[in-house]
Amino acid sequence: MFVIASIVIPGFELRAALRERPRLQAEPAALAPEPATEALLGPVTATAEVAGIRPGMRLGEALATCPSLQLVDPDPAAAEEAWEQIVRRLEDAGIAVDPAAPGCAYFETRGVERLYGGLEPALRRALKAVGPGWDARIGAARRRFAALAAANVARSGQVLIVSDEHTREFLSPLPLTLLPLAAGQREELQELGITKLGELAGLPGGAVAERLGPDGRRAWGLARGGSSRRVRGRKPAAELLETLEFPEAVGNELTLRRSLGVLLDRLLARPERGGRALRKLALAARLVGGGSWRRTVTLRDATAEPARLRAALGSKLLDLPAPVVALTLEVLILAESVGSQLELVQPEGAELRAHLREGLRQVRAGTGSGSVCTVVEVAPWSRLPEQRALLVPRDD
Amino acid sequence: MVTPAGTESTTGSARRLNQPQRALVEAHVDGSPRRVDRSAVTLVREEWRVVDRWWTEEPVSRRYFDVVLAGGEHMVVFRDEEVGRWFSQRGS
Repeated sequence: MFVIASIVIPGFELRAALRERPRLQAEPAALAPEPATEALLGPVTATAEVAGIRPGMRLGEALATCPSLQLVDPDPAAAEEAWEQIVRRLEDAGIAVDPAAPGCAYFETRGVERLYGGLEPALRRALKAVGPGWDARIGAARRRFAALAAANVARSGQVLIVSDEHTREFLSPLPLTLLPLAAGQREELQELGITKLGELAGLPGGAVAERLGPDGRRAWGLARGGSSRRVRGRKPAAELLETLEFPEAVGNELTLRRSLGVLLDRLLARPERGGRALRKLALAARLVGGGSWRRTVTLRDATAEPARLRAALGSKLLDLPAPVVALTLEVLILAESVGSQLELVQPEGAELRAHLREGLRQVRAGTGSGSVCTVVEVAPWSRLPEQRALLVPRDD
Repeated sequence: MVTPAGTESTTGSARRLNQPQRALVEAHVDGSPRRVDRSAVTLVREEWRVVDRWWTEEPVSRRYFDVVLAGGEHMVVFRDEEVGRWFSQRGS
């Protein structure tokens, strides 16, 4: 028999961003919305909650409720780094961790129970490994979702273990917010008078699927305890990263692209790579104002060709919100194999078009109809930027 | 036809690139932006006007500002003088 544990650190991104400004932890503060997204607040401090501020609140409403609210810029690179350190400390304690997202990880306890003399001592050891100041909590159960729900219910520093026979009973009074449902679907359920997991679990699965689609069916399954799928610990990541620090802030696209080229060349020359191709990379930057920026790129076909890597990563530089003082390129996942079968004859003409069609078909299959578009210039001479070009969906 | 700034325009299922997005702007007395989306403006790099289609029933009158914010971010914002609102826009 195995037990799955879930470690949860509420408001992890905010806590990570406040590590540099601990004074704000005791003040009403909230994580500011990402640029160019809907103006909704991220996690908030306990003092802000006391002042009536809730995560997901509209910015205007929050400032009207609490005019002294401090907005903290997201620092995704600091959050990733802090999370990686926590995961490594857990791994150092002998725990094979499956990090689901920054601030949430799963592990199976069977391997470490014997090491630490039982389930609860092992979970306490995991809490200790997370370190002070994070207010981590752990839930444990036979099923992944029940463990996550228990961790969300537990208080800071608490370990909450739910036995398999009491899982349904435990989940029943919990709110729907624990489920991965879109706000609209949650509201739809609330309009039908369903506000608790137990009420959802009591409905017929077919009716839920018909009303809310596959996401609703999945949520219904979770409300009944979820699957008892095993947890696989991650393979520890290799330390393969290169950083370039600039003497002064750089916002020029050409300079940034050249810097990216230098970083790529350095990474590809690293002996630790052992000739293997790159599967997943992260491009991060430290911004001039003190914030940070990070994008991850997963390549459909692992490659070590500099031109293809530059093409895949270069477009991300356009998303940079401000000039940068340091640019970092990190390999997150390397391919298992060293070589790949090359084509004897380069495809061209109709064959190349067929490859393109197939690629587009796969993108559409993954993201839905209307997701593949062509830019059609309609009035490139127009003085109004929005009149110059149209995005026309390609469904051919 | 020109769609008023900030409204979605579709032709069939096609959509426009660089559609203006609503922006929260506090302006100085002279009309230049002081704060954009709660960030202070440190520099106005360029300012220009676009007045077009004044002969139609959908005239366009915009005062554009290319600004640098306190965090170093570049933004192009404009005040649509027909509707009296501020917008940000890429590709300007």
